[in-house]
Amino acid sequence: MNAIECKNLTHYYGKKLVFENLSFNVKEGSILGLLGKNGTGKTTTINILNGFLQPQSGECLIYGENSQNLSPQNKARIGFLIEGHIQYTFMNIHQIEKFYSKFYPKWDNEPYWHLMSKLQVSPKQKISNMSCGQRSQVALGLILAQDPDLLILDDFSMGLDPGYRRLFIDYLREYAKEKKKTIFTTSHIIQDMERLIDDLLIMDFNRVLAQRSVKSFMQEFKQFHLELENPDIDISNEEFVVNSEKVNNKLELYTYESEEKVLNFLKNNGVVHKNFRQVEMGLEDAFIGLTGKY
Amino acid sequence: MWKSIIYKEWLKIRWFAIIYAALGILVVGNIFLKVQHDFEFSQEAYYWYSILFNQYRFYEYSLFKFVPLIGALAIALAQYFPETVNKRIKLTFHLPINENKALMVMMLFGAFCLFAIAAVQLLLFTGLSLVYFPAEIVQSALISIAPWFLCGFVVYFLTALIVLEPVWKYRFLYLLVTATFVPLYLQTAAARAYSPALPLLSVFTVLLSVALWFSGYRFRKGEM
Repeated sequence: MNAIECKNLTHYYGKKLVFENLSFNVKEGSILGLLGKNGTGKTTTINILNGFLQPQSGECLIYGENSQNLSPQNKARIGFLIEGHIQYTFMNIHQIEKFYSKFYPKWDNEPYWHLMSKLQVSPKQKISNMSCGQRSQVALGLILAQDPDLLILDDFSMGLDPGYRRLFIDYLREYAKEKKKTIFTTSHIIQDMERLIDDLLIMDFNRVLAQRSVKSFMQEFKQFHLELENPDIDISNEEFVVNSEKVNNKLELYTYESEEKVLNFLKNNGVVHKNFRQVEMGLEDAFIGLTGKY
Repeated sequence: MWKSIIYKEWLKIRWFAIIYAALGILVVGNIFLKVQHDFEFSQEAYYWYSILFNQYRFYEYSLFKFVPLIGALAIALAQYFPETVNKRIKLTFHLPINENKALMVMMLFGAFCLFAIAAVQLLLFTGLSLVYFPAEIVQSALISIAPWFLCGFVVYFLTALIVLEPVWKYRFLYLLVTATFVPLYLQTAAARAYSPALPLLSVFTVLLSVALWFSGYRFRKGEM
């Protein structure tokens, strides 16, 4: 069963195409990370999902309802974190809990106050006077208290120092797995995603580069390093090459093919080389390998 | 749930509402200080002079002229501006309630506060006026100040429309519309001058009350 189904989304800003025929699903109980460089449409996708933007064509269904017309019952099942942990900063932590508690039938303030107890702030402290890290805990606590089935998190890393990022991710993953929640998230810090997500969707300008489980992506996507005898040889346009970076005669090759197939290609095409080796990658390395440095 | 929306709105506007109410009471106090002064030193001749030569302005109720406008502007800005900072209105639209109803409750609460404050000011004004003047004169004064209080509501509704509008170009257009319509309510302080126009101005004011729906709709469709 899918919590989210987006079909053939196409959107333009003026004449600039953001994406065309983008389709993806998010299974219930899974954590999907939407990765992409700046300007590839991550926030656009989140806005469409939350009904704040009407795509030129296509639709997103959340629990079977079009995201442009979500019923109040369905909205109560969705926890939404706005980029930058935006909240009502004119309220204090008591007022904001009191405000939200009346909207959600499953409201449980225990996780909220548990997080607030770690912040060393007085109950009357206004959210506007808190640090970005503290505000992130308020936003997270409110979402957890809401007890939604689906969490949509727009760039949860923004403005957080490493400690708060780690706290946020660890708390969130434990909560999601224990309670079988679905998460759809974006973050510009890929290392954070590596600790959190099960599946990934990597977007580039106008297209989807990868859509699969993190595990299979990390197993199948590979980086090879080699030194060419003739630095003028260019194999970047070969079908099996997803991306390549060359500095002088040193070549980084990114591919889904096996080491054996790559070596065979080099041999069969007379590409003389030395120091051929596979390089271990983290998710961030793989992301850069797939999308390129520029 | 609706009580919670009202709670949020009250947190935003409470100090502005209290200051506006206090300002209104001070203005009423000021008007009647002057009336008392005139009664002491000018006696009834002054009022006959006002009736005959001073555009029938019996006493200085014109001090009220810009008070509802200023109060409404302050309350509307206090209420709607925080919703636009970092597009915080998304939080309201994401609540498990109908988006248009949420905007309507926000608007009704703001308008109710303006109405309540105006009612306090007008009751005080009417009560004190009746101490000094016959009912006919008080009635004329009330009809004269009515468009200024209607103007407060117009400014409130149009400020909501402008502040919630996501596109600056449209904001500027609405600002021009506001600059055209608001002076209609503030043309003159002459007694009963607005008598024939009051029904039409009232209808127009009520029609403007739903204007913020349009900005809310445009925001939800992703206009930017």
